[in-house]
Amino acid sequence: MTATETQTVQAGDQVRATIRQFITSAISLPNLDDEADLFASGIVNSLFAVQLMTFIEKTFAIEVGMDDLDMENFKSVNATAAFVMRKDGRRGG
Amino acid sequence: MVDGRREEFRTFVARHVAPCAAQWDRDQRIPDSVLGLLGDSGYVGATLPREYGGQGWDVATFGALNEAFGKGSSALTGVITVQAMVSMALLKWGTEEQKRTWLPQIAQGKTIGAFALTEPGAGSALRSLTTELAPNGESFVLNGVKRWISCAQFAGVFLVFGSLRDKGPAACLVPRDAPGVRVEPITDLMAFRGAGLAQVHFDNVAIPPASLVGKPGFALSHVAPVGLHYGRISTACSALGLLQGCFEESIAYAATRRVDDRALGDLGMIRSLIARMGTDAAAASALCYGACQAEDEHRPDAYERTLMAKYFTSRAAVRAASDAVQIRGASGCHESSPTARYYRDAKIMEIIEGTTQIHEDILGKIFVGQARRVAVPA
Repeated sequence: MTATETQTVQAGDQVRATIRQFITSAISLPNLDDEADLFASGIVNSLFAVQLMTFIEKTFAIEVGMDDLDMENFKSVNATAAFVMRKDGRRGG
Repeated sequence: MVDGRREEFRTFVARHVAPCAAQWDRDQRIPDSVLGLLGDSGYVGATLPREYGGQGWDVATFGALNEAFGKGSSALTGVITVQAMVSMALLKWGTEEQKRTWLPQIAQGKTIGAFALTEPGAGSALRSLTTELAPNGESFVLNGVKRWISCAQFAGVFLVFGSLRDKGPAACLVPRDAPGVRVEPITDLMAFRGAGLAQVHFDNVAIPPASLVGKPGFALSHVAPVGLHYGRISTACSALGLLQGCFEESIAYAATRRVDDRALGDLGMIRSLIARMGTDAAAASALCYGACQAEDEHRPDAYERTLMAKYFTSRAAVRAASDAVQIRGASGCHESSPTARYYRDAKIMEIIEGTTQIHEDILGKIFVGQARRVAVPA
């Protein structure tokens, strides 16, 4: 693995951890799997989708726009982290 | 910015709103000239960026605007509320073309928007919407009925929520003059009588793809919540103004009204009512401006803080209006006193932009969830 690839992996891990922390602070599921479908499980309240969007906009200084409205981008911890990495090219996505 | 604007808002309301509010209520109509003045003042585009013709004010200033107007006329404040709901949802999820077309018109009051969400069979139960967008070649056809839509009587454009077959909840912009749109005014409401409520029929209305707002499937999870969020900020702060109005009326009356040889305010039972009212006003103010600050800082907790502010303030306004009438006695029951209108208007605050019970359901779920996380650490 090159140094750049290593940096990208580390940045991805950091993004995932930050998102995971927010999500577990918002929903009462202590052992949340990073692949668990947040919206299919019924564990989130009706505000969660916009709160998650606001969180990633504020935390990662990116704007979620109409073209980003795809449940694949937000359905799990891993999906959201991948979306942030893609959206923010500086993180190596 | 907020403190610098408060006096301006108070002066505007004292000159153009408070003296006319009772008449608008009796007429069940706000004159076009007043709506025009509201547009000229820039108040309907308070939170929109300047590039779209707005004022670019922070949300705390928007809150102060609603507080000042709420003391003067809940019905007129309702116009500001709805314009914020439509324009902020559009600002977030509209295409650049939609924003360039509609936002400057709304910001300048040249076109009034209406947020067409509620239906005869779907008030709080939004998942029960029956309004349908059906694919029709490259376009869509809209059919459905919306009810209790504020500003619809004088709206030039509707942000309509429905369901798109196989795609889920969808939102679209519909100009009032589109063929198939029919507006049926609703009169004889107990309050908000000048807010222009109507039932709106959409019969085979052609919707081009460029009129969809946000992607189909996300209208209830992302588009409507942005509008409702601003509606709740506006309503909470408007209720705060009404609450302040009740408080000021009550202390002035209690200080001057004599009962035998004592001022009304010397009676312990009256002091109790005023103590609760004044404390509620201070608590409501803290909640309202805390929510505004959270939104200004673009924090995720802005949503639940706004729910709390709207929930607390609307209920406190109902209590205060009831007590304000009680303190004035018979004169408080007559429309020559603003307390009579406050009493009627306050109840509406508990209904619009989510009932008290819907707020309790959401907030209760959030709070119970917090307790579970404390009890079962990860």
